[in-house]
Amino acid sequence: MNALIYLALTRLKNNIRDLFRKPARLIYVLLLLLLLFLSIQGSGDATLLENTFRDPRELVAIATGLFLSLFLLTVWNGFSKGGTIFSLSDVNLIFLSPIRRTQILFYGLTRQISTIMLFVLILFYQYSWLHDLYGISMGTMAVILLYYVAAVFLGEVTAMTIYSFTSNRPGTQRVLKGLLLTSLILLALWVLWGAWTSPTDRVAGMVTAALSLPVQLFPVGGWLGWSFSACLRLGSWWPGLVLCLVFFLVLLFLLTHFDQDWYEDVLRTAELAQSAITAKKEGTMESVPTKIRVGTTGLGRGWGASAFYYKHKIENRRGGILLLPMANLIFAVVLIAFSVFTRSGGILPVFFFSVYLQLFSTGQSRINRELYKPFIYLVPEPPFSKLLHALRELLPTTLAEAVIIFVPVGLILGLGPVEILGCVFARISYALLFQSGNLLLERFWSGANKALLFFLYFLILILLSLPGILLSLFLFAGFDLSLNPIVRLVTAAIVNIPIALILLYCLRNMLQYAEYTH
Amino acid sequence: MLNLNHVTKYYGKYLANDDISFQVDGGQIAILLGPNGAGKSTIIKCIAGLLRFQGEITIGGFSNKSSDAKRLLAYIPETPAVYDMLTVAEHLEFIRRAYRLEDDGYGQTLLERFELADKQDKLGRDLSKGMQQKLSICCGLIRHPKLIIFDEPMVGLDPHAIKELKKLFREQKDQGAALLISTHMIDSVENYWDITHIMVKGRFAATQYNRPEELKTQSLEELFFSITEGGDAT
Repeated sequence: MNALIYLALTRLKNNIRDLFRKPARLIYVLLLLLLLFLSIQGSGDATLLENTFRDPRELVAIATGLFLSLFLLTVWNGFSKGGTIFSLSDVNLIFLSPIRRTQILFYGLTRQISTIMLFVLILFYQYSWLHDLYGISMGTMAVILLYYVAAVFLGEVTAMTIYSFTSNRPGTQRVLKGLLLTSLILLALWVLWGAWTSPTDRVAGMVTAALSLPVQLFPVGGWLGWSFSACLRLGSWWPGLVLCLVFFLVLLFLLTHFDQDWYEDVLRTAELAQSAITAKKEGTMESVPTKIRVGTTGLGRGWGASAFYYKHKIENRRGGILLLPMANLIFAVVLIAFSVFTRSGGILPVFFFSVYLQLFSTGQSRINRELYKPFIYLVPEPPFSKLLHALRELLPTTLAEAVIIFVPVGLILGLGPVEILGCVFARISYALLFQSGNLLLERFWSGANKALLFFLYFLILILLSLPGILLSLFLFAGFDLSLNPIVRLVTAAIVNIPIALILLYCLRNMLQYAEYTH
Repeated sequence: MLNLNHVTKYYGKYLANDDISFQVDGGQIAILLGPNGAGKSTIIKCIAGLLRFQGEITIGGFSNKSSDAKRLLAYIPETPAVYDMLTVAEHLEFIRRAYRLEDDGYGQTLLERFELADKQDKLGRDLSKGMQQKLSICCGLIRHPKLIIFDEPMVGLDPHAIKELKKLFREQKDQGAALLISTHMIDSVENYWDITHIMVKGRFAATQYNRPEELKTQSLEELFFSITEGGDAT
């Protein structure tokens, strides 16, 4: 048997075997599948609600935006790192073997597709709301996911090609970067121009611009969006796909026929990926920007446990923009865009979506990273004092995040200042609640396998949120069903805060031993 | 300075340390020598107060979980513990502040000795692994601890840093500090130790003192291999 086929099959076999050897992981996978099934089953009957669907062109515009951003982000990263389709073990074992480079490349590309496919399965959870809002079928959802894979995959191959041809030519790299950036700005201006020229309905203007030929002809993202429009009977499927196929073949030809030594670029990327994996295992990992502006140095303040807070302030300043990591800022932009499309639904859909995204960003707080280092356990201060000071940074960062999200969202939805303040307050309460839930998980289950942890994480946070949600729903139901949603949110927030504080108090000794957490 | 009394550590059902008792006095260098997986790091983490255990550990007469004990202790882990987004100088400032210590200039001395003085404004993540290890050592020593625990301290260090660290071991010993060094590399131990405990499968298999009469009959290396391989050193 060919060595590469043997390797691929053995990896697959071992992954499946591993699933059965670890029942918790198997249960987790089955639960995920069950939830996926329920989410698909739970979506409303599209035929009954046909008249209430939103304009399908909006969905094409959203999908095009998604494909474009995925492709461009992957390519942009490629300027500095190249593609990421091989692991370090691939590099050390396969690259040194006498297997033909084309075969190795093909193996890497196939492996990459399967990895992305696994990841995008999670996107199926979005089916329910997309179905309810745009009436899409399961087939259309599958096309979105397939095109998502195609956008990332072609982005990776493009990144690899660009890196191979330009890694030793900084001038060419600068020109290409400039071209990419300029075309991106032109694209954004084109869409904004669409909004500008239709003052009565700016969203419709932007959608029209996003579906026009200049966007559809934009490499990969635009082509995929163009092809996707056929699913909603808004265009033809084949021109976009043909363009993608030709593009892929050209890249493959360039990589295999111009004697470009792409091993070097892969080695560098694989080493970076491996050091990230090692760092994660050793608990030293932190997702930090590639370039950091050090700025003013020195803590300046802090004595005893409070030194942790002033250290976190420095780290937050260097770790992102406006105190926030890039991922949180992207979430904020997504939420603001979401509010544009769900204006008619009021604040509740946006707020709940923001809470949903908050589930993912909470794990990135400073204290979670601190738990992996020995200092917080070794410093001779009372454990509860260390815990509180390590949590202090949560307030300014959450406040900044809430303001960045809810001021624009409030303006889009026409909320008043008091209502915006209510949203900010509610978001802070959820940040505190989720953080304490996160610490609860770290305290009791940090040794559990990742799959189980992931499941428990969501379960605990949902359970902690329930009292507030239930109270806000039922306490006022008897009085007034048309109650201002902000009052409901603030009610939930008022319940969340004491729950979080009680939980934190119960966890006050968690910093006594590292073993309590890691 | 350090006293362990019948310390046993289980990870679930796995027995990592079995009834360990020993002590390290001020001005003494004790070595924990053993193959990989012998339980050296586990006992060290128990002493540092990072793990739960059965038995008793005291540092300077205080329970190792107390703040008084933590004030006396420096622990330099095997994996360098540095913050990605703090500069070298900020690491030392953070430790000083967290331990409520005024700046006595010792941090600067340490940075110079370990050739980090010109890298004070470099971020932790921009340091090589060896430099991170040196910084980790500086963070431990800046507090003038009375008990210093090193877990595999030589790994990743360049020859100059190794030389400097060995010199520092002797200085700390002369100043009355107690040192406990865990290693699996016999060569790195040289002759600066006072007592060596050889660990195998979570237990002390042998203890040797650095006395000419003891070493005359059997060298440390011979003793180690006779225990771990059941024969003489090659």
